[in-house]
Amino acid sequence: MQDVNVVVTFYSYHGATEKLALAAAVGAVEGRANIRLRRLPDIEAETTAEGDRMNMDYVAPREADAAWADAIILAIPARNFSAECQGYIASLEALRSQGKLNGKVAGALTSGSDSALPSLCGALARLGCVIVPPGFAGPAADAVEGAKLQGRRVAEVARALRQAGIR
Amino acid sequence: MITIRKSHERGHADRGWLNTYHAFSFADYYDPAHVGFRSLRVLNDDRVAPGKGFGAHGHRDMEILTYVLEGTLTHRDSMGERRTFGSNVIQVMSAGTGVVHSEFNASHTDPVHFLQIWIEPSVQDAAPSYQEISFAPEEKQGRLRLLAGPEASPAEPAAVIHQDARVYAAVLNSGEKVAKTLAPGRHAWVQVARGKLCLNGQDLNEGDAAAVSDERELALAGDGPEGAEILVFDLA
Repeated sequence: MQDVNVVVTFYSYHGATEKLALAAAVGAVEGRANIRLRRLPDIEAETTAEGDRMNMDYVAPREADAAWADAIILAIPARNFSAECQGYIASLEALRSQGKLNGKVAGALTSGSDSALPSLCGALARLGCVIVPPGFAGPAADAVEGAKLQGRRVAEVARALRQAGIR
Repeated sequence: MITIRKSHERGHADRGWLNTYHAFSFADYYDPAHVGFRSLRVLNDDRVAPGKGFGAHGHRDMEILTYVLEGTLTHRDSMGERRTFGSNVIQVMSAGTGVVHSEFNASHTDPVHFLQIWIEPSVQDAAPSYQEISFAPEEKQGRLRLLAGPEASPAEPAAVIHQDARVYAAVLNSGEKVAKTLAPGRHAWVQVARGKLCLNGQDLNEGDAAAVSDERELALAGDGPEGAEILVFDLA
């Protein structure tokens, strides 16, 4: 089976988005991907106890993670782009300008409202990624199950593209 | 037949925060002559610097055992477990359909030394699970204390794994002996976690191991001034 690497990058204040990111990562593992799970460090947000815990539990993303990945999943809280999220998108610009993001798969997740989703997908599309939208996980599925399904779909699409020689 | 795997012949990587020896091929170390023994696929001898560790990553279809020799580890996983544990504990994570976990040195002052063991499961797509069994140090003194096996063992609580394999720990003082009979067709891997061991008349030092096939009896004795702590795998 074709090896496929997925990096899940998230920002979370109180742990709600962390749960979705973790579910997406588990979904990608179910899809037999190698995964890395990375939390964006606080820039604007006031530090909370949960933030301190997550800073201990997770490594911050580096450019090497996106370079390693065949697919990038970005999970953020349901607010407009925070400084943390904007900073991450900007940090990928160097890879984009070298053409190194072309054809990578990307998916976006937001906790709570999905109003920020179109602009988030747009930002990932501008980087040159193939966007995999959240799937339909079933009429009774909750956000965690939806995130898990999306993680699996992202891994499967990334593998299919690699097998087809598209990247 | 007893085939010795010397400590210094193992794969080795020193990444600063992690000093690791691989009995079998792992990560950047690949040796087609050493890709596992029976269902035993990985045996890493890891030392992690204070406060450092393995960030969140995933596993699928693997029985992952962690045995701490010195220090403490904090484990966190996608099943919601958050545990800190040290020696005289066996931790088993059955990855099954998929888990994400991280393992960090719980201490910001002291290193942690542990063995990480992967056993290939006999079934695919099992439900992920986490087990942690602790025991008194006396239970492994001078005898083989069962850590994990294919079925529940009420007399001596041990982790249950999806494979016909039994894992034991023992601490043998200098000259202290224990014997292990292998059923016909069974194989064994003997890993010296620390100290010196005499196995069927052969001397093994810290980090050494032995692959055993077509033998009926293992005669294990602590050697040198300190004796030994060992893990014994009884494998199909």
